[in-house]
Amino acid sequence: MSGPILELLRATKRYGGVPAIEEVDFSLNPAEIHALVGENGAGKSTLTKVMAGVVTLTSGQMLVAGREVTPRTPLEARHLGIAMVFQENSLVPTMTVAQNLFLGREKFYNRQRGIYIAAQQFLQSLNFDVAPTTTVSLLGAAKKQMVEIARAVLHNAKIIIFDEPTASLTPEEKKYFFDLVFELKRREVSVIFISHALEEALQISDRITVLRDGRHVVTDDTRTFDRARIVQAMVGRDLSQTLYGARKQSTRRSGRRVLSVQNLRMVPMVKNTSLSVFAGQITGVFGLVGAGRTETFKVVSGVLKRDLFHGGEVMLHGRRVRYRTPAPAMRDGIVYVTEDRKVEGFFETMSIARNIYVGWLARLGRGRMRVSPREAEIVGETWIKRLNVRAISRDVKVVELSGGNQQKVVIAKSLVQEPDLIIFDEPTRGVDVGAIAEIHQLINRLAEEGRAVVVISSYLPEIMALSDRILVARQGKIVEEFSALEATEEKIMYAAIH
Amino acid sequence: MRDRNDGPSYGRRVTAAVWFRPSQQNIVFALFAVLFVLFSLFLHGFLTTDNMLTLLQNVAVLGILGLGMAVVVIGRGIDISLVASLAVPPGLVLQMVQNGHSLPYALLTAFALSLAFGLVNGWLIAYAEVPSLFATLATGLFLAGLGQVALFKLDVVQWSPGMNALTVIGQGTIAGLPVPILMFGLTAIAVMLFLRLTRIGTYIYAIGDNPNAARITGIPTRPAIVLQYVLAALVGAFAGLVLAASVNSMPTRIYNSTLIYDVILVVVLGGIGLSGGRGGVLNVVIGTLLIGTMLNAMTIMDVSYSGQNLIKGLVLLVAILADSFVNPRNEETAQQGDI
Repeated sequence: MSGPILELLRATKRYGGVPAIEEVDFSLNPAEIHALVGENGAGKSTLTKVMAGVVTLTSGQMLVAGREVTPRTPLEARHLGIAMVFQENSLVPTMTVAQNLFLGREKFYNRQRGIYIAAQQFLQSLNFDVAPTTTVSLLGAAKKQMVEIARAVLHNAKIIIFDEPTASLTPEEKKYFFDLVFELKRREVSVIFISHALEEALQISDRITVLRDGRHVVTDDTRTFDRARIVQAMVGRDLSQTLYGARKQSTRRSGRRVLSVQNLRMVPMVKNTSLSVFAGQITGVFGLVGAGRTETFKVVSGVLKRDLFHGGEVMLHGRRVRYRTPAPAMRDGIVYVTEDRKVEGFFETMSIARNIYVGWLARLGRGRMRVSPREAEIVGETWIKRLNVRAISRDVKVVELSGGNQQKVVIAKSLVQEPDLIIFDEPTRGVDVGAIAEIHQLINRLAEEGRAVVVISSYLPEIMALSDRILVARQGKIVEEFSALEATEEKIMYAAIH
Repeated sequence: MRDRNDGPSYGRRVTAAVWFRPSQQNIVFALFAVLFVLFSLFLHGFLTTDNMLTLLQNVAVLGILGLGMAVVVIGRGIDISLVASLAVPPGLVLQMVQNGHSLPYALLTAFALSLAFGLVNGWLIAYAEVPSLFATLATGLFLAGLGQVALFKLDVVQWSPGMNALTVIGQGTIAGLPVPILMFGLTAIAVMLFLRLTRIGTYIYAIGDNPNAARITGIPTRPAIVLQYVLAALVGAFAGLVLAASVNSMPTRIYNSTLIYDVILVVVLGGIGLSGGRGGVLNVVIGTLLIGTMLNAMTIMDVSYSGQNLIKGLVLLVAILADSFVNPRNEETAQQGDI
């Protein structure tokens, strides 16, 4: 058979109107190692989730060995021979290796000895050095991954998808992992792997596909690529220019130093990070997922719990501070606008006005015992107008709004607290195009008013469009600082990728 | 199959929801109304002033307990120890007065005990982060055990003449209304004012809705959670006093009864979701009325105790099922932002 084993044609997936991937064509050959690269939010994960049956396409076709399929659950995908090894382990930690391997395919009378022997033989045939009787929670990251791979092979997977397989591995373990991948290839298994480490993609893959902004950019044989060509394909975009406005022509002068962080340490994400934030300008913080950006600023704003804090200093207006909960940080004028508004952003059963009013009450604190519905409406109405939140009715609950309007509500709830230092974490994630421009305007306005603004984003155009200063984080550290005028997308990306 | 476009259908559901919200509260209220009308028409002796007063008086204590439970459940917790709060501190009042202490002194001691108990519950749940179900299960056992081992001489603590000043809250009438009903009403108004008109009340809704968001917003979530359990303990003790005054004793073995299930039944049936942030005093009142009507009618119809349990269980199941049909979880929105 010479045709592709897996094909996606004009694949589109929208989340509530926001496209994650749009009209993507993708093909995978038998016994091929195919690398999938792109920035965060480029649609790599969504694309692979479609293949693995975790999400279903909004439109477009998926073909396995030339036959059209629509896997709706991971189980259906597995029956088609597609298995996905997730970033987060999907093994049951309290079970043994053998039990995990045979999970879901136990016989009615499940003899432990039987599965141990079968597992032993199977692992040996793969040349995997894992004892089937070991409890999974005792294994290291690399071995867990081995078990996951073994399980995929055991389930007769013809296609195995890896999401960031090497992120948590040591160099030796990585080498071992690559050997495994080649072994899979010899067994006629096709491998798709998502990676931020371009060297790995260049080293082991047969073909590379680059995605950008949910669209397919290029697929080609690996030998025609070099690092520069990939980076260029990842960031060189015309579409985003129109969407995010032109690049900055001038930068705002920095005002007083509002925040300075010295040698902040926090296991496992933040390692000796140091940075400063100034009033009256926007400090952009760029980095790939796992670079420790969010964690650093969550420590600053008291959101992360103290047991993860391992030393270092946080100075606010030259005064040493250490917040154990967000409440005192908020009173000192620091607010954090979350990257995950559904989990820690808004109150879904409350109206828009009420959400904003809760932020206001928290700011007033002990100064206010009584609340009045009338005041809630006034406060809410003021901010709904100011941020232009659009809803079909005033009593509509926040959960029923579009992503952009939800985000505006979350921002309003923080701005009502009159902060000096505002930390936006991925302010336009899952936000529709129109609202992105409005939110960017708002962020600019805040800096103009003389507040210190931090924008954490994994999306380069956003960083480029907003920031006066750009900090680049990599592996738990701020590794590079650019002024907006000297930065280019290539330089920033180069600093962010290890 | 593939053209399952989620966007438009989501939009349709939103519009439908705005026009008509068949919430559990409305369903239960409709059920109550239907049952009430049916019983009035066909059940002889149901719709009389005397029977109505009996009905209300019988559920007054349950209703007060439901109010205490509601505060906790709105804050996304549960207080299984509520019946221990009901039995032990008021039992202590009766015992101390029997032993010759003055009533105010006994009341003060019981108040301190309730306060301490609520603080311990709250500390365990807010600071030690023990799930509320387990924390209150354990503390409830402890308090009930403490009462039986160390505080009370007999399982039923008898009323003594020193207590007579309190008889009125269980047995008196004001303007023709039995005082327990008034006590239920007053507690309902107090809890409603607390939940609706105080800052902490709003905090409790926020915490119940989304504890992470509440914390990030700068709400002192832990003290607010502690306060919920303190309030629940105090309301529970008050319900205990009303109970003791109306039956002239405190049967401390009530801890071993199924009363706590009835309390949860009232709260959940009324439409205060166990997931928190939803509902209010009105829901407790509706739940209490429905349970009261059912119990009363079943008593008139001479349904056995086991039969009553069977029917209560069925009604609760139907209410919960109805809730999950009219308020399904929205899978699409849960996925948003995960690109």
